[in-house]
Amino acid sequence: MNEKPKAAIYWLAACGGCDETIVDLNEALLSVADAVDIVLWPVAMDFKYSSIRSMKDKEIALSIIHGSVRNSEHEEMARLLREKSQTVLAFGSCACFGGTPGLANFRSRKDIFQWVYRDAPTVVNPKGVYPMTETKVLDHTLKLPELFEKVYPLDRIIDVDYYLPGCPPPPDLVANAVSAVLEGKLPPRGSTLAPHRPLCDTCPRNESKPPKIEIPEVRRVHMVEADEGKCFLAQGLLCLGPATRSGCGETCIRVNTPCRGCFGPVEGVDDGGAKFVSCLAALLSAEDEAEATRVTDGIADLPGTCYRFTAASISLKGKS
Amino acid sequence: MSVKATGPLPFSPKLVCFTCRFGWGYLNGSKAIESLHNVIPVTCSGKVDASHIMEAFKSGADGVLILGCPDGECHFQNGNYQARKRVLLMRKVIEAFGIEHDRLAIELDMDPEGSKIEPLIEGMRERISRLGPLSPKGVTANQACTGKENLR
Ligand code: SF4
Repeated sequence: MNEKPKAAIYWLAACGGCDETIVDLNEALLSVADAVDIVLWPVAMDFKYSSIRSMKDKEIALSIIHGSVRNSEHEEMARLLREKSQTVLAFGSCACFGGTPGLANFRSRKDIFQWVYRDAPTVVNPKGVYPMTETKVLDHTLKLPELFEKVYPLDRIIDVDYYLPGCPPPPDLVANAVSAVLEGKLPPRGSTLAPHRPLCDTCPRNESKPPKIEIPEVRRVHMVEADEGKCFLAQGLLCLGPATRSGCGETCIRVNTPCRGCFGPVEGVDDGGAKFVSCLAALLSAEDEAEATRVTDGIADLPGTCYRFTAASISLKGKS
Repeated sequence: MSVKATGPLPFSPKLVCFTCRFGWGYLNGSKAIESLHNVIPVTCSGKVDASHIMEAFKSGADGVLILGCPDGECHFQNGNYQARKRVLLMRKVIEAFGIEHDRLAIELDMDPEGSKIEPLIEGMRERISRLGPLSPKGVTANQACTGKENLR
């Protein structure tokens, strides 16, 4: 009889980058594969959902779930894996906060359908063919999952035990998380398996920050050649480092790209986007109202910038 | 935070108001402020973080009003300017989340008696009542997927 603990790796609304980072464990992946019995990993191996359904409750030791919940199939699989698993790890920014797919929450589902299937300049759809959840073909009824009005982070749908953010999470944190589970050395449930400090604290450019940053005009990366040694904010480029959890290895900063916030808010903060807005407001140099209006109006897509990875984690009432 | 509605408008908007203690209603103790619902005195309008504004909307507010000191008269240095910049930015952010920007406003003025607070709140409630209530959008996936609206 196989005594190895069972593990599942599953994707919901995801791009596949999280699977890639697991593959990037390289040789370490082989020892993981020795230590556990992988019962589900659609991107790498062939398994049937029915074999998961027939398992006993909590039979799987660990389910690593990445991607956000966007449609009814995602919801069904998330609930199934929750039922069958002792521990669920929300893996990657989409599972933790909705990720970039969560930006869709700035639009209604109807807007998105109309754009994608009718109004986009590249669409030719004279018959108005739209995807349906049910279609009759001869005697058969074909079914598709239903797209939800909103994108949801995983913990809005099921209980999540641990979080590992990142787009994708870096291999060192993945390896730490997997060995912590295998060795039973996990922190309290609900913890995020990444450092607590903000990115600026670990950023190699932090030293270069002037005592006071003043931004008379927000610039965009394609408009300037960024100085490789200098804090991006001090160059008028939006960098989410002050409001983002560290742990990524500063990979973007090292290739001269400002932080986009994929690690989500720092420990203890729910709404990292709002925290960044507060920080940014203080840096914009504008005393009078006209000047403040001019500077703020010059920022391209402020909401998308501040909430690039976390829009879906914000539950607000609103007009649809 | 729980947010209460007041007043006789057809749709009764719930408004949260942050007032700077230095400029607004500091005479007569704080009576002018205490009698009003959802008015939160702060030590400087610059203390109002963008996340407090979001928190008010998340807690059910239909609008948020910030009252700070006039230009050049911040008790500290320039907290009122900081608040104004935050409001300008947050008006763009809430719009993206489906909340009209007019539901967030800032007034920089001086009102030691606190007599202008109530009329300002009433004026904003009236403007918001014309915008209508904010509606909850699909809170859980289950609710969302039962909404069989026509997507065309
Ligand atoms: S703002 Fe960005 S570039 Fe500047 S120190 Fe923080 S993370 Fe580094």
